[in-house]
Amino acid sequence: MKSIQATFEINGHEVTLSSAPNRTLLEVLRQDLGLTGAKDACGGEGECGACTVIMDGKAVNSCLVFIGQVQGCSIETIEGLSGNGDLHPLQRAFVEVGAVQCGYCTPGVIMASKALLNENPHPSDEDIREGLSGNLCRCTGYVKIVDAVRIAAEQQPRR
Amino acid sequence: MTEETLTLGKSELRKDAWDKVTGAAQYVADIPLTDLCHAVIVRSPLHYGRILGINKSAAQNIPGVLRVLAAEDIPGNKIFGPLLQDQPSLAIDIVRHLGEPVAIVIADNLETARMASELVKVEYEPLEPVFDPGQSLKPGGPRLHPEGNLAAQFDIQDGDIEAGFAEADVVLENTFSVPRISPAYMEPENSLARWNEDGLITVWVSSQHPFTDQVFIADALDLPVEKVQVKSAVIGGAFGGKEDSSLAILAALSAWAVRGAVRIVNTRNESFLAHPKRHPALIKMKLGAKRDGTLVALRAMSHMDTGAYASYGPAVGIIFTETLAGSYRIPNVHFETFVAYTNSPLSGAMRGFGSPQSHFALESMLDMLAAELDMHPLALRRKNMLRPGDKMFTGVVVNDTANSLPICLDQAEAIIKRFSQIEPAPGKTVGVGMALAAQSMGLGAKVPDDSTHRLEWSPDGDVYVHLGSPDMGQGLAMAAEQVTAEALGLPYEVVKTIPLDTLTSPNGNVTCASRMTYMVGNALIDAADRLIQQLLDEAARMMNFPREQLSYQVGRVVCPDGQKVDAAEIASRVADDGRTLQCESTFSFPYPEETTPQHLPIGMPHVIFCFGAQIVRVEVDPEIGNVDVTHLVAIHDVGRVISKPAVEGQIEGAVATGLGYALYEEMPLKEHQQWVDSFTEYLIPTTKDVPLNYEIIILEVPEASGPYGAKGIGEIPLVPTAPAVANAVYDAVGVRVKSLPLTPEKLIKI
Ligand code: FES
Ligand code: FES
Repeated sequence: MKSIQATFEINGHEVTLSSAPNRTLLEVLRQDLGLTGAKDACGGEGECGACTVIMDGKAVNSCLVFIGQVQGCSIETIEGLSGNGDLHPLQRAFVEVGAVQCGYCTPGVIMASKALLNENPHPSDEDIREGLSGNLCRCTGYVKIVDAVRIAAEQQPRR
Repeated sequence: MTEETLTLGKSELRKDAWDKVTGAAQYVADIPLTDLCHAVIVRSPLHYGRILGINKSAAQNIPGVLRVLAAEDIPGNKIFGPLLQDQPSLAIDIVRHLGEPVAIVIADNLETARMASELVKVEYEPLEPVFDPGQSLKPGGPRLHPEGNLAAQFDIQDGDIEAGFAEADVVLENTFSVPRISPAYMEPENSLARWNEDGLITVWVSSQHPFTDQVFIADALDLPVEKVQVKSAVIGGAFGGKEDSSLAILAALSAWAVRGAVRIVNTRNESFLAHPKRHPALIKMKLGAKRDGTLVALRAMSHMDTGAYASYGPAVGIIFTETLAGSYRIPNVHFETFVAYTNSPLSGAMRGFGSPQSHFALESMLDMLAAELDMHPLALRRKNMLRPGDKMFTGVVVNDTANSLPICLDQAEAIIKRFSQIEPAPGKTVGVGMALAAQSMGLGAKVPDDSTHRLEWSPDGDVYVHLGSPDMGQGLAMAAEQVTAEALGLPYEVVKTIPLDTLTSPNGNVTCASRMTYMVGNALIDAADRLIQQLLDEAARMMNFPREQLSYQVGRVVCPDGQKVDAAEIASRVADDGRTLQCESTFSFPYPEETTPQHLPIGMPHVIFCFGAQIVRVEVDPEIGNVDVTHLVAIHDVGRVISKPAVEGQIEGAVATGLGYALYEEMPLKEHQQWVDSFTEYLIPTTKDVPLNYEIIILEVPEASGPYGAKGIGEIPLVPTAPAVANAVYDAVGVRVKSLPLTPEKLIKI
């Protein structure tokens, strides 16, 4: 298969790489860029949300995005969230309320939460549940995840 | 709890959480190794068949393919199994379930391995499969294993069952069925192995029992165990399902065969087909009671489907049987349980381990009996609940922790009253239901259950916990660190857990059976005591004081002259001698001979139980049969809270799984005899499926043998959920559904 070239921004840095066109963003992140925070939990079927990253401000399942589609886009992954060792408020809230158990779903859940707060900085619990309904977690029953997102949202300045 | 604690019961932060929220945590699939090869398993397309031939050559000739392996390439034991040696690592002559590993293709990249795996030509003669455990035990069907199709059988009696039923004023008889469900941890199974120049094989696992993996790998490769190093990676959930060594063996075999490094990662679909599930079961139950509600007799005949291989099926059969009488005193019982082989995917350990199945039947029956007797379900339970000093049907005398049962029921009464006053949403019918639950702790009598862990005082002042059992994500490490900090009088921050490595860690035994906090806590309290003694011995020697004049105080040795010396200082002088200030301790699950009945099969009885209750309010749409759990209260006794968020986290997660069991999860055969094998069809609860109104009540009735009084909480919170929902649905619409899950069709069909 002929390779294609893709240039895009990843966590604020521009990268150009060549890849077979049938590869997904998730594969490229994990295999080519060594960014293994995004996970595969459903076999790339778009069912689990463990692979969630932010693409041009919106949460996407990176297992459903082909590499050609990211040309010119800006991608944010969990690895880009904490600048110089400081946790992002969402990350801090997840740690503080105990919303992390096995942690396998966590990067995806946090990225989906970040996209949610970008769009709706002060969501109701219902909004949080709606916004995270594509992210499966088998450990927490979601109670503390919703708590964490609410707490992180409360810490944002009201507009 | 009035006494001051240092860290016990406090909301400490999990130390592994930082890596997990930043994406730095390394699960097996994330570990970078140079020259890593990838393996893909060739799996059986048949439920049952004879292998006539395997032609590897087309795959072998693809550039990039290093090896194609089949059973003949395994140098040592080709068969493994945690309880019964019945499971081939790669199929030998026969395939017994869809998805069974037949061969394995190793290539220098994943794409090539995948593509080549399709070129391995396996010729089969299809055989007629059997999926029903009752059918499988009838004569004339296929014989799946040389010893027959019965993996285990239990026949337990107490009292006089005939006399019991003769005494009964009311007798109810019903049949219940519970489905096969998947543990559905988010991280699919995987393993990574590297063959090292010196002949050592290093294997990274996501496993509840690395020391067992080590033995099976050594056995398969015909190596001494010390040539196999198993390391615990970060585990992405396990719930019992990762008490299975199959991928660890295959990864090690592959690395050994290519003299390199090889990773295997299951797809979700492979996980569904080829990894242990919760046992489906058919339970026939007959319950007799007096007019006043006194239970007098319980008979059960049950068939459990353990699938193609036994895995932990026989042990699941034990706990299932032992929990058939739940939290109740029933003088006459007779339980027969058959654990049968079929051509279904294998069933094994999963959170609850038999108890969710037995409780669905029993707790449903109790509500049916209450209706028959025109008694309140709570009153019926109160009349029959176990009390301290009661003898269970196994002969075990119930300990003081049964004092939690009346508290559960009192609380439940108030909650039921409160729930009953909430107005239904328009067009909905409301119901409230509850269930009690009992869950055993430990592996059962006569099963060796030693758990060893080590503490090390490092010269930098930190104390390291060398945990001998993996933290599967539930937070075992935090519990271990808190207990250690409490016992040594140190801040939680300075106690740190070292990841498990079979070369250097003590053997803490498998992480399972609601007993880890209990085992680890007890071992570490003892290790801490002895570490302090060692510290004082060293200090006495170093400073030339008589030993008895020294004392220990929060990380320091106090000398008779008032001088205080940091433990770190002593540790560093011990290190200068080339030694380490450390102490190991083993805790053995106690089955006191005087009080543990000896007449039962191996693994029976269990002697310590956890108790709890759940109350749910449901709204049912009578038109479409949809069940919405709007309110839920979970009341659970943990003996003593070590970490509140962790206890809550266990309850919240287990309840969600319990709701999935109640309402949607099942893995049936669909058209063309394929199993449901993806999250597209197998639904697990999402954020929108857990009740908005959720309350947890934690009881602390101390367990005398537990660390600071603590006992287990990992499994029990998913046990009462499904029967509580079924009872609430009955309360709402008067329909008694006797099979899980409670899908809308079952509600409107009747
Ligand atoms: S891997 Fe499951 S949604 Fe992408
Ligand atoms: S924390 Fe384990 S899957 Fe969410």
